Amino acid sequence: MALHNDDTEESGDAVTDGGVVEEQQQTGFRPIARLNERFGSDFVESSQFWLPPFLLVGLFVYGAIIWNVMISLTDFQGFGTPDYSDLDLEMYARALGDSGFVDAAVNTFVLLIAFTLVTLAIGLGLAILIDRNIRFENTFRTIYLLPMSLSFVVTAQFWAWMYNFNNGVINIVLTSIGLDRVDWIGSPDIVLWAVVFALMWQFAGYAMVVYLAGLRAIPDEHYEAAKVDGASTLRMYWRVIIPQLKGSTISASVVLMVFALKAFDFLYSLVGGYRPPNGADILATKMVREAYANLNWAYSSAIAIMLFLMALSIVGPYLYYQYKEGHL
Amino acid sequence: MTDDSDRLSRRRFVEATGAATLIGLAGCSGDGGGDGGDGSDGGDGGSENTDGSDGGDGGDSSGEPLEVLHGWTGGDGAAAAEALVEAFEEEYPDMEHEFNPIGGGGNQNLDAVVANRLQNNNPPSSFANWPGKNLQRYEGVLGEADSVWEAEGFEDVMVEEAVELHQYNGAFRAVPLGSHRLNCLFYNTSVVEEAGVDPDSLTSVSALIDALETVSTETDAVPMTHGMSGTWTTTQLWASTMLGKEGYDPYMNFIEGSPDEAAVQSAFESVAEILENYINDDASSIGLTESNQNIIEGNAAFIHQGNWAAGAFRNAEDFEYDEDWGFKTFPGSEGMYMLHFDSFLYPSNNPTPEKTDKFMAFAGSEAAQVAFNQYKGSIPTRTDVDMSAFGPYLQETQEDFANAEERPPNLQHGLGVDSETMSTLNDVISSEFSGPYNVEAATSGFIDAVSN
Repeated sequence: MALHNDDTEESGDAVTDGGVVEEQQQTGFRPIARLNERFGSDFVESSQFWLPPFLLVGLFVYGAIIWNVMISLTDFQGFGTPDYSDLDLEMYARALGDSGFVDAAVNTFVLLIAFTLVTLAIGLGLAILIDRNIRFENTFRTIYLLPMSLSFVVTAQFWAWMYNFNNGVINIVLTSIGLDRVDWIGSPDIVLWAVVFALMWQFAGYAMVVYLAGLRAIPDEHYEAAKVDGASTLRMYWRVIIPQLKGSTISASVVLMVFALKAFDFLYSLVGGYRPPNGADILATKMVREAYANLNWAYSSAIAIMLFLMALSIVGPYLYYQYKEGHL
Repeated sequence: MTDDSDRLSRRRFVEATGAATLIGLAGCSGDGGGDGGDGSDGGDGGSENTDGSDGGDGGDSSGEPLEVLHGWTGGDGAAAAEALVEAFEEEYPDMEHEFNPIGGGGNQNLDAVVANRLQNNNPPSSFANWPGKNLQRYEGVLGEADSVWEAEGFEDVMVEEAVELHQYNGAFRAVPLGSHRLNCLFYNTSVVEEAGVDPDSLTSVSALIDALETVSTETDAVPMTHGMSGTWTTTQLWASTMLGKEGYDPYMNFIEGSPDEAAVQSAFESVAEILENYINDDASSIGLTESNQNIIEGNAAFIHQGNWAAGAFRNAEDFEYDEDWGFKTFPGSEGMYMLHFDSFLYPSNNPTPEKTDKFMAFAGSEAAQVAFNQYKGSIPTRTDVDMSAFGPYLQETQEDFANAEERPPNLQHGLGVDSETMSTLNDVISSEFSGPYNVEAATSGFIDAVSN
């Protein structure tokens, strides 16, 4: 801290000549001092720790994103190199005019919202039940969390078998209680909900763990106070406990939404290919199909960018919220 | 204080070093990217004319092994690939080689790997794919195999369609290994007998539909098993129906980009009639393998497939040709052989031009075609092969092949339309024709997709 000298105000004239100015004692290196002044006391001194990852991430993540944006503005397809001399938004216009893209975007959005809401609700329910000092608490927790430890490739195969029209376990149960068989995978109106259900099954355990942590952080006094004031159990949770789970809800839903955008693996494994059943095409599968089946690199980059913007529109507000709350 | 500042200058030194390293690093990776771009430019240049491959020929002194990518990983495909490799080793015992199978997703994974490697200018020596219009998507990255065709005299021994379909932009780009047939109808003998249907009498699509009706009233079996977890099965069923019901010319007009709307719609109507009434309930949740199983287990009477399906029948126990299962040319397309080729494509900027030439010459040889096809359930594309190693079914297929009046290219397996059109056709099937079956929308979608 002592290095933080006060003479910066005097250095109005530019001294960014890059020369090594060795000033002894407490004055320090002026540009460094100014950087430190601007960004915090250890900005330069700590740079050896954060700068390498900063540059690497910048190059390989953000650089790649920018490159992707550039490709999406070209007409690049097939083999060869993209022509960067003629950039336009043609691919985005094409996407908006492509009914396949619009369907995939709608499906992605529905999947995102439905999956997140249902999973949060189920996760919360499970967390509250487990938090009520039941027996075998840990066992139940493990059981609910277990599906998440399985790969999408495995769970998609499970569900493909379970949803089979003739001998899938779900239809067998339905027929045994006197209901009609349902064509889970084959009918375009149902398949997306079947996928949502399967994903919910896999991730409800995760939402449960996040909520459980949130519940454990609520002091017992709140429960006791609500009881003393005569609140019913339902009312107590609704009015006192659940409102305090805002943070858990937000962080769980961000993670879940990002998982929903990545449902590609699940759909790919469900049918063993890039083309999901009719009615379940999402942007991720469409993107991969355009890129690798049709070699439409520019078009699939445009889809990728729109998917990226969707993800950003989810994560962005969350980061802003965290920033406002002072967690960042 | 002094201690502090002392440490500081050392820190500053570390900082400077770190920054310098990073700048160097960034510089390096920048260079790398630039090189990659240049490299693929070079590939382009090479493929436009013979220069590239000639230059490559000269420089094949490198010890790089021959690398061949293919997608034959399942069942009979794996056995066929193994037989091919064995035959190759016999022919070239000293050549180092890597045959890399990349299975899954019906060649999708293979295509993706190949696309990536070609894009990164890191081509394999050769890779398996379809010739015909499918070659269009490899525009600019395929070299020439003219010298192989000439040296081996392939033009004289291959069927005429193979000669035609392996050329693109005025040069040979690939060598055929074998051929499947697509206009096939297979049946379970005991089921059709139980229903009292004589498959050989089915010479029109309407006769087929009548027979399906008979099967559904006379037996408990599914009249026609269909696996449509992928759309390709429906697309190829439509193609066979189009060929069988409307005939050769309307089919070819469709493929060549001047479709007749009435013909397209009429074919769709027949397919819709079949799919709405006579297929298995779980069609949308099963694929080819399970669908085939329905025939083997006697749960279904008929199946339309390319004759790779016969490979599954052959591998099934106690399931013999003519006794347990039978073959009928798809009704209405008698005398025609809807073509399919399995071929090896020749990437330009080839890592091992000399070895690749040898391999390509081998792939078109009798030894390779016999070794591979008898296991794959396909037939040689050469017309001078001794068929005695093949079973009776493939011998008959080969006779049909040799004597066919017409050999129209297929729609779904690369020969007839380019890959983008094929993808659009499958989009149409997926959104309009995988239940509910919307004949009008599918018709206009197909017509838009192929019309020039």
